[in-house]
Formats: sequence, structure tokens, C-alpha cells
Amino acid sequence: MDRGIGSAAVEGDALGDFRIVSEPYFRPVGNEVALFEAAFASRMPVMLKGPTGCGKTRFVDHMAWRLGRPLITVSCHEDMTASDLVGRYMLDADGTVWHDGPLTLAVRSGAICYLDEIVEARQDTTVVIHSLTDDRRILPLEKKNEVLKAHPDFHLVISYNPGYQSVLKDLKESTKQRFVAIAFSYPEEAVETEIVANEAGVDRPLAQTLVRIGHRARNLKGHGLEEGASTRMLINAGLLARRGIPIDEACEVALVLPITDDPDMRDALKSAVSACI
Amino acid sequence: MQRQSADAFPGDLHQAWIRACRRLSGAGYGEGVTDAYVRLSPQIARLVSPQTAVDLAGVVSGVAIRAGRAAAALLPEQALAAAETVGRDGFPRWLLLVEYVSNSAPESLAILFAHMPQLLLQVGLEGLESWTRIGIRMAEGDRERRLRFFRLDDPSAIRWLQRASGQIGFADMEAKLRPFLTALWGDSPPLRETPSNAHEQTRRRAGFDGSVVRLPSSFPGFQSADAERLYRAAVAHIGAHLRFTRERFPVGGLKPAQIALVSLIEDARVEQLAMRELPGLARLFLPFHTVQPSSAVTAPALFARLARALADPSYEDPNPWIAKAREAFLREDPHDQQLSRRIGNLLGNDLGQMRIQFDPRNYVVQPPYRDDNLGLWDFGDNDSQAEDAEQVLSSARIRQEENHERPDRIEQESRPDGEAGRVQIEPLSMEGVLVARYGEFDYVTGREQPDWVSVKEYPANAATAAQVARLREKRGDLADRVTALIRSARVSRAERLRRQSEGEFLDIDACIDAVIARRIGETPSPRIHGRYERRSRDLSVLLLLDVSQSTNDRVANGRRTVLDIERQAAALLSQAMSGLDDPFAIAAFCSDRREDVRYTRIKDFSQPYDSLVEARLAGLQGSFSTRLGAAIRHAGADLATQRSYRRLLLVVSDGEPSDIDVEDRRYLVEDARKAVQGLSRLGVNTFCVGLDSNAESYLGRIFGQKNAFSIATIDRLTDLLPKLYLALGR
Repeated sequence: MDRGIGSAAVEGDALGDFRIVSEPYFRPVGNEVALFEAAFASRMPVMLKGPTGCGKTRFVDHMAWRLGRPLITVSCHEDMTASDLVGRYMLDADGTVWHDGPLTLAVRSGAICYLDEIVEARQDTTVVIHSLTDDRRILPLEKKNEVLKAHPDFHLVISYNPGYQSVLKDLKESTKQRFVAIAFSYPEEAVETEIVANEAGVDRPLAQTLVRIGHRARNLKGHGLEEGASTRMLINAGLLARRGIPIDEACEVALVLPITDDPDMRDALKSAVSACI
Repeated sequence: MQRQSADAFPGDLHQAWIRACRRLSGAGYGEGVTDAYVRLSPQIARLVSPQTAVDLAGVVSGVAIRAGRAAAALLPEQALAAAETVGRDGFPRWLLLVEYVSNSAPESLAILFAHMPQLLLQVGLEGLESWTRIGIRMAEGDRERRLRFFRLDDPSAIRWLQRASGQIGFADMEAKLRPFLTALWGDSPPLRETPSNAHEQTRRRAGFDGSVVRLPSSFPGFQSADAERLYRAAVAHIGAHLRFTRERFPVGGLKPAQIALVSLIEDARVEQLAMRELPGLARLFLPFHTVQPSSAVTAPALFARLARALADPSYEDPNPWIAKAREAFLREDPHDQQLSRRIGNLLGNDLGQMRIQFDPRNYVVQPPYRDDNLGLWDFGDNDSQAEDAEQVLSSARIRQEENHERPDRIEQESRPDGEAGRVQIEPLSMEGVLVARYGEFDYVTGREQPDWVSVKEYPANAATAAQVARLREKRGDLADRVTALIRSARVSRAERLRRQSEGEFLDIDACIDAVIARRIGETPSPRIHGRYERRSRDLSVLLLLDVSQSTNDRVANGRRTVLDIERQAAALLSQAMSGLDDPFAIAAFCSDRREDVRYTRIKDFSQPYDSLVEARLAGLQGSFSTRLGAAIRHAGADLATQRSYRRLLLVVSDGEPSDIDVEDRRYLVEDARKAVQGLSRLGVNTFCVGLDSNAESYLGRIFGQKNAFSIATIDRLTDLLPKLYLALGR
């Protein structure tokens, strides 16, 4: 899988590493490409919703390539502070030096900033994006005593998985309402087969079997599994199968074992997998 | 004879053995007893040890006194057989078992001896030990029931024997089958074990009906891995029916043979569709089709071959009837459900012309994973045919024996008017609803008896709420103190605090700021430390009240009953916790033998604390006994679903666990202790408040010394809470 990220950078381009040089594979399911382009045209912040492994991140990669913008991705985690996003003073031999955080870098140089799994970040962290996501489009750097005006090309994208931890963690209403949302879900069988075949490099019958297996696991969502098997998992199983691992073993390794720790559930899934083959 | 025995018993033991023989013959148990011992004990001496063989005389004499001469005369022979099976090491345990039975169930010993060699082979010594214990305990002192059990007339005797022998049954498979069915077909009908009182033929095959899938307790004759596969195949097959059998066939005027054939074709049709979608099912189904072509042209043999011919493309059968059926079946589009009817009718007519008799009474669907097809047919109104049809389909009305769902989720299905084979759900009454079975730990064998105790949920009686409100308001001062105590408690995940003036680690951001401040000539902030601290409460509590008979007693130095104090404490705690938005539930329990542990929900986690809850508290009445372990397990299962950082089960009881079917005082204590340990593995803390009890030592044994606390008056509640939160804070 060639993600196409490379440093075919123009000389002196600070964002060289963040440019995507070759087209990341993406199979549109609906009109999400057109929607995103329209939102980008008016620099409207975009929220991508959907279960894990259904192609949100790949979509952003693809769009960044399509629009020719560099992409700065930040994976959010629960200990992330605002200065992890914005930047901080660091010490060096001569004293203190300001280092831009990833968000500031994107704002300054006009990249697409993608905050992955934004709910994971603490709520006080997420409010720093507020001033960027309304018509002000500014980022105040209070420690540096600077108000940074966003580059005209700066665009903010966040991803948000409403499925898990929804009760304990959620976005503030005031944050949610700043975004347009594009919903993603697992594609229908034919499309998903095409995706698995393409990404894993396996033939279509095998891809179809894998997709069927995936549907079996998705049937169990809410009946003992938090999430069904994602497209990503199916691709992983396909990649293993292409390397000569027998398909049932590939599914066990890539799908059954990661998804559950419950022995009964494992047993049921394994039997269901073997029913598909 | 003398010489032989002299070989077997060296030295002094020979004299001892002769004395033992003399004692036996002098005791007047009859010639049979003495003869058997004299004849067989030398062999036992060689197999086990001379000393044991001498000691055996004492056991024989004891058995003769308690269980009678017949049993005593059998003992030496049985002992010899057992010595051969269990060997030298197991023999003393076997003797202990015999003594145990002759003490606890003397009338059954001779009967047990009749099955003994075969039982030992089937379940081994350990399995036999636990099986006999179960039999004796289940009979609850009733001689007749014991006799039935050991005669194997009692169906539960066979079921327990299956468990003891490790045969795979429904109980072992249920947790696996449920998700398997859901995974395959996307819907999840409830799975039930066929009740043991069902018709013989119904018990042998799986079945389904509308919403419920019914599976046999076990498939006799299939060993572990095969039995597992059989259960999976049965579930996959029924799933295929649920998916592809769109409507029931009307029975109309069909003959039994036609009904059986239409069912058979329909089975093949849905399997074919299922295997198109899930090709791996072929590997699950086909191995059970083992029939081979033969010259026998009986209906069951032909049907089994037809089933195989339709399922297995590689199977060849010379019979023209089967070939015709196969050809007709393959010509049609399997999505058309009516094809089953057409082909089935045709084949039925041919069968008549071939003069092949079909006996509905003894017909059992083959291969064994297929269901009894009861769910395929619509019997219409009291048609005279229905009775015949029922016979074919070996139907017995199945009474819904249990419902695993919570009572508030029971589907109140409309009662079908006398339709055959429909599952009838009895209307809810004040009777308890069986919600779960739990194992019980037997400290003697060191093993858990699975599914030993039945927990039934009973609806709560309501009385006047004002009574409890008065109790609560009377101690308004206490309520405030309790609220303040809970509010100040810190039970949650530790949080990381930054920019503290003191703490356990350096806050790097603050340090950098401080250095910057110094460089630019400002006064640096001294708050450069960080620390971890618990700042909030993230705790769910379930208060489990013991409402056994003894809670009606008055407390030692007061006019109020133990139950009153429980009510008051529950009211105070609920009020405090609901004011602070802590998830909080109340339940009460008592027990009337192991079959009826009564569990009453007074307040659920999601319910607000209001006058309804107070009315239910007021309506509590003390009755029956205290089977603590089962109640703890049930409450713990409820609590374990709560998603908070800490989960606390607070048991309020007035004494040691007891129940009328248990004589051994230690038994329920040890079981409750095991239950508490089980909960702590689930991440549930259990804490016990003993009310006015001198049973603190028991409570300490069950809950651990630090987790049991005895109070006599409600005022001590305020002493109790800090202790409790301290225990949780760790």
C-alpha cells in the first residue's frame, strides 16, 4: 500500500513532507468527493463521521492529493493539551525558542489540518479550534503574544467516531455546530469487494468471501461486539492471504483475535468464518 | 483357603484378618456377608493393601447395620471391581464414598452398587462422588426421590451424569451458539433448552417456532467435538429456515408421509440457499449425512438417503425414486418455496404406489442436526388432521419453562389458541420469573455445581410510602451527615493535576515557563509541580437487602426490627446518593430452597428515587431463608454492567447464610465466600453490613475482615461510610 507520501518537495517548501505525491486509492461510495470539494471551496470545516476502519483517513489523504494541498494529521489522545496543538516555547542553548505546533503550522502555511479522533482529546483542548472555525479564522497564540491570521488555503477537518465511548466522551455542542458533517459507513457488498480486492491485491472471489465474513462479524455488533469488523481488517486479512496464509488462519489473526477477548464469542466467530469459506 | 489368605496377609495382619472374619460371622449379618468378605478380601489385599482389606471388614459391618445385609453382601465384590478400576490410590476415596452413601442414603446403596461398575467407567471416581452428592442433596431427605435418582429413573439424574462425564450439552454450548447464530444470519432469536418433560421425540431434535429456537439438552451418542459440531449445524440449519422459509405450509389434507417429505424437501431447499451464501456450511452439514445406498426400502432409510442425495452432489444412489426426486429438485428455482410442497406431494404419492409403509410414531428426522420441522407447519383450526400431523412432527406442547430475559423485558406474546407446537408463555403473575441459574460451590468436593440454584425475580409489593418517608425524616440530621460524607468521598480514576506548588513530579510546561520568566526578568511562578489525585466520585452502588424471616426480629436494644433498620438505611442512602447523581440501585432477596431464590428489584440504576421506591421499601416483608451466594452472584451480574470506575455491592444482612435444604452450616458460608471472590474478579467490590449480629466472624470469613462491619443502630451508619470509602479508595 503506497500511501503516496513523499518528499517530492519544491525547494524551500516547509511543508514538503506533508505533500501527497501520488494518488491514494479511494473508491467513492456516494458523492462525498463533491461535498468535500464544495466545503473546501468556502473553507468550511468538515467533520467525518463513521465507524473505525471505514475509510475516513484515506478519504482525507485522497482529497488532499486531489486538491493539491499538504496534509497535517494529528492523532488526538486523552492527554493532549492545547500547546500540543498550538506550539510551545522550548529551551535551547541560547534560551527559549518558540516551536509551532501542528495546528499552527497548518494555519500559517495553508495546509489541511486533520484532527483524527477528536473526541479523545480533552474538551479544553478542542476549544482552541473555535476561533479558527468561524468567520474570524484566527489563532491567538497567547504565550507568544501573537494573533495568527489563517492562510487562505488553511482547512480544518476532524474525524469523529460516534460509536464508541459515546456516553463518556462527546464533543461540546458549540464545537459540533461549527462543522459540516459527512457520514461514512461500511460500503455495500459489491463496492466493499472491489475495495478489498484492490487494496489487498487479491482476486474477486476471495475478496467477496472476506466481505461476507465481515458481514458475519458486523451482525454481532451490539450482540457482544462493540464494533463489527472494519474494511481495514478485511484488507489486512486479504494481505495475509495473499502472502500464502490460509484464509481461515488469516481471518483468525486479522479479524477474530483482535476484535474480541471473550472465548465464546471467539468460538462463534471462528465457526462463522469457517461457514463462509 | 488358609494358605491363600496367609500369602495375602503377611505377619500380624493375618491374625488381624482372622479376627475380622470372626467378628463378621459372629455379628450375625448372615452367611452371605461373611462369605463374600472371606472369599474376596485376600484379592483386595493383593490389589490394594492388606491393611485396607482388613479395614474393609469394618466398612462391611457398618454398611450391614445401616444399609442392610443385601448391600453389605455386595460390598466386597464391588470393592474388588472398584479396586481394579480406580487403582490403589483411588480405593480409599471410593470406600469413603460408600460410607457416605450408606450414612446419607442407606436405602439407595444396593441400587447404586448395581450401576457402580458402569458409572465408574463412565464418569470416573471424582464424577461419581459429585454425582452422588448431588443426588442426595437434591432429594432433600426424601427417600423416594433418592431411590428414583439412583435408579436413574429421574431425568435429572441422567442430566447430572452427563455433566459429570463431561459430555457436551446445551448448557456448555449456549454461550457459543447464540453469537454464532447472530453472526450467520443477523438475527438473534432466544435459544432454549428443550424441557425434560417434553415428548421423547421432541427432546431428540432441535426445533423452532416463531420467536424461539429450542435445542436438545444433549445429543446422546455424540462425543465432545462431534456434539459441538452437531449443535452448530442445528443452529445454522434453523437459521436457514428463519431466513428462507418465508411462510408456514398449511397442513390441509396432507398425509403424514407427505408432511414428512415436504419438510424434508424444504430442509434441502433452505440448506441449498444457505450454502450458496455461506459455502463453508457444506463442511458443517455434510459429515452428518452418513447413510449409504442399501437394498432396504423402508421409509426411514429412503428418507435419509433422499436427504443426503439432495444435500450432497457427490452422493450416488441407484434408487429411481430418489433419482427422480433429485432431478425434480435441481430443475426448480430454490427461491420458490412452493417447490417443496409440489415435490413433496408427488413423492408422497409415489411412496404410496410403491406400497412403502410410513410409521409417523417412530419417525425421527435424519440426519440428527435437522430440526423436527414443527415450525414449518400451520395447523389451522382444530382440523382433524392436526392430530395426525402432530404425531409426525412428534410434537409435544412445550411449556415455556423459563425466560432468560429480565422480567421487564418479557414479551407478552398473545397466546395462540391451542395451536400445536406454539410455545406458550404463561401470563405473568405474582409468581417469580426464573431469570438465571447459578452454580454453587461445594467446599467438600472443591468444585462448583453448575446451574444448581435458580434465581427468580418477584415483583415488589408496594405499601404506603409515608411510612418510610417518616423513618427517613425522623433522622434528617443523619441524612445531611450521610450526604456530606458521600460528597466528600473520592472514588475515581486518578487525574493528573498540573501547576501545583507541590507534587510528585515536575510539570515540564510549568518548568519551561518558569525558566522563560526568569530569562525575561519576571518573577517565575513557583507552581512547577504536578501530582495525581482522585477528585470526583465515579461509583455505582447496589444495595442488597436480606429480607429473610429473621429480619423480623427486634434488635437487641430497641423496639425496632432489623428490617426497619434496613429500610431506614436504604432510604437514607438512596436519598443522599440520588441527590448527588450517583448511580444507585436497591434489591432485596430471600430464599426458599435452591429452586427458589427470590430476588426483588426495588430501585434500578436508571430509576429515580421517589415515592414508588419508598412504597416498595415499605412493602418489604421478612420471610424464608438467606441463600446469600446466589443473591450475591445475581446482584453482581447486574452491577457488572455498570460503566463506572468503581462498582460496589453493599450487602445488608442480619446473620449467617442458611437455607432449609442445607444442613451443613459451613456450606453456604463457603459458597458465599466464593461468590464474593468471583465478583472481585469482575471488578465489583463487595462490602457487608451486619445488622445487630454476632455473626461477624461469618461475615468476615465471607467478605474478608476489612469488608465486613457490624452495626446495631442506624447512627453507626456515619461511622461505616468513611470505612467503606477508605476501602474503596485503595
